[in-house]
Amino acid sequence: MPGDLMPIRDDFPILQREVNGRSLIYFDNAATTQKPKVVIDAMTDYYQSMNANVHRAVHTLAGESTEAYESCRSNLREWFSAEKVIFTSGTTEAINLAAHAWGKHNLNRGDVILLTEMEHHSDIVPWQMLSREIGVELRYVPVAEDHTLDMELLKASMEDVKLVCFVHTSNVLGARNPVEEIVGISKKHGAKVLIDAAQAVPHDRIDFASMNIDFLACSAHKMCGPTGIGCLLVSPETFLEMEPFMGGGDMIETVTLEGSTYQKNEHKFEAGTPKIAEAVGWDAAINWLSKIDLQSEHERLLEMARYTANRLRSIPGMTVFGQHADGDSAVVSFIHDKVHPEDMARLLDARGIALRTGHHCAQPLMEKLGVSGTLRASFYLYNTQEEVETMLSTIENIVERFS
Amino acid sequence: MSDTSSLQELIEEFSEIDDAMERLELLMDFADEVDELTLDEWSDENLVRGCQSQAHIVVENRDGLVYTRAAADAKIVQGLMGVLSVVMNGKSPSFVLSLTPQFAIDMGILNSLTPSRSNGFRTMFDMIQSEVKEKF
Repeated sequence: MPGDLMPIRDDFPILQREVNGRSLIYFDNAATTQKPKVVIDAMTDYYQSMNANVHRAVHTLAGESTEAYESCRSNLREWFSAEKVIFTSGTTEAINLAAHAWGKHNLNRGDVILLTEMEHHSDIVPWQMLSREIGVELRYVPVAEDHTLDMELLKASMEDVKLVCFVHTSNVLGARNPVEEIVGISKKHGAKVLIDAAQAVPHDRIDFASMNIDFLACSAHKMCGPTGIGCLLVSPETFLEMEPFMGGGDMIETVTLEGSTYQKNEHKFEAGTPKIAEAVGWDAAINWLSKIDLQSEHERLLEMARYTANRLRSIPGMTVFGQHADGDSAVVSFIHDKVHPEDMARLLDARGIALRTGHHCAQPLMEKLGVSGTLRASFYLYNTQEEVETMLSTIENIVERFS
Repeated sequence: MSDTSSLQELIEEFSEIDDAMERLELLMDFADEVDELTLDEWSDENLVRGCQSQAHIVVENRDGLVYTRAAADAKIVQGLMGVLSVVMNGKSPSFVLSLTPQFAIDMGILNSLTPSRSNGFRTMFDMIQSEVKEKF
């Protein structure tokens, strides 16, 4: 794809590679996005010029690496309008952290955690584990026929609910949930709110402070940052209710053989040597993203998703999920009645086109949709209409040849 | 012809095809090589766990030789089963246990052999070897 048609593509070295003799078309962005060269360079430069452990030594490298690591936190505070940013390994660890550090100490037997059928396994399993441990009840808001959350049932399910956990934007359907309405209902009933924003942060500018929620979990790698790092945003009041769940270096204030005291800031929840190079990479990714008009890109990508969904619907035997309403992410999940998703994904890969196939770590939602898996094309900043056309004509060709 | 030379021929047959989609098309043709399990024989016991498609496989000991019967809803997965059938059926347990899954890479039909939730071939391969160890 000529770079001069879309200069942003030149920032992503991986887009130059070929797969099976064809130019790579990468449509698995909901799983992870590609990394701009500035992110790769920042991480390489960190290891080449300032690698040292953070928060400990007084030498020059230690000072520089500490500044670089904490610069990411400052950047994230500003980017998300959040006061408390706890680094984790990603969204999954962030939700587990909330379950252990807050849930375990603030919820009791008989309390209810409200989840939805739309959740990723990462926002189901930690709560199931907590439920087994302390006896809290889990309740699920169903997905309605139109693949949106059943808001009437949500409203009717609030009794004894102390925590509401829901996905901002579904990784399978691309559906953006009515976040503000759910938060309003939850707060009216005095429940805390945790939002899984893994799929939201690449597309939406999250303003945590104005959302009136308690926790938000996300990952760097879905927004052009490196894998292995994410964060849990916590409201200042809820932060005070959390107890550390991992002990060790970096999170302590003093340690004696009799006992220890802990840091008061986010470090309290970041035991052990943190992900320093990853934070440096994420910092660079945020700086890179800040130059992009995310709103107009979001509209462009959503239009691509709508076009893809419509073209796919015109292929006999094809079912397309999701509504692609305003605010939804640019994700198209589909299934053909004759060509198995795994066959389709491997055949597309033979033409250099990367799509995700399977249950997308959302088996309860798959059950609701009545399928064992789907194919999923998810678009991001560097994807073009030409790539979409290539994918669609390849799919049409595959269906004709193999069904 | 030795067991190893028939495997070698298979590797050559696949690796000579330059076009990846044509290679997969040939792999799909191998779906017919499978001694197919009927739908009512599909069970939790013979389910290939961790496979993205519905895949089932059983290993039988027929007079001391290995035979597999299998089925999958994805044609490429059943094609992989077909390749395994051609390579393993009627062979000695020692030959089957001497195989490594590397041949699927050499044939150009897979890009990863790491056991994972997306790698049904590796799961099937390991399942067959473990059943051979049990049943022979």
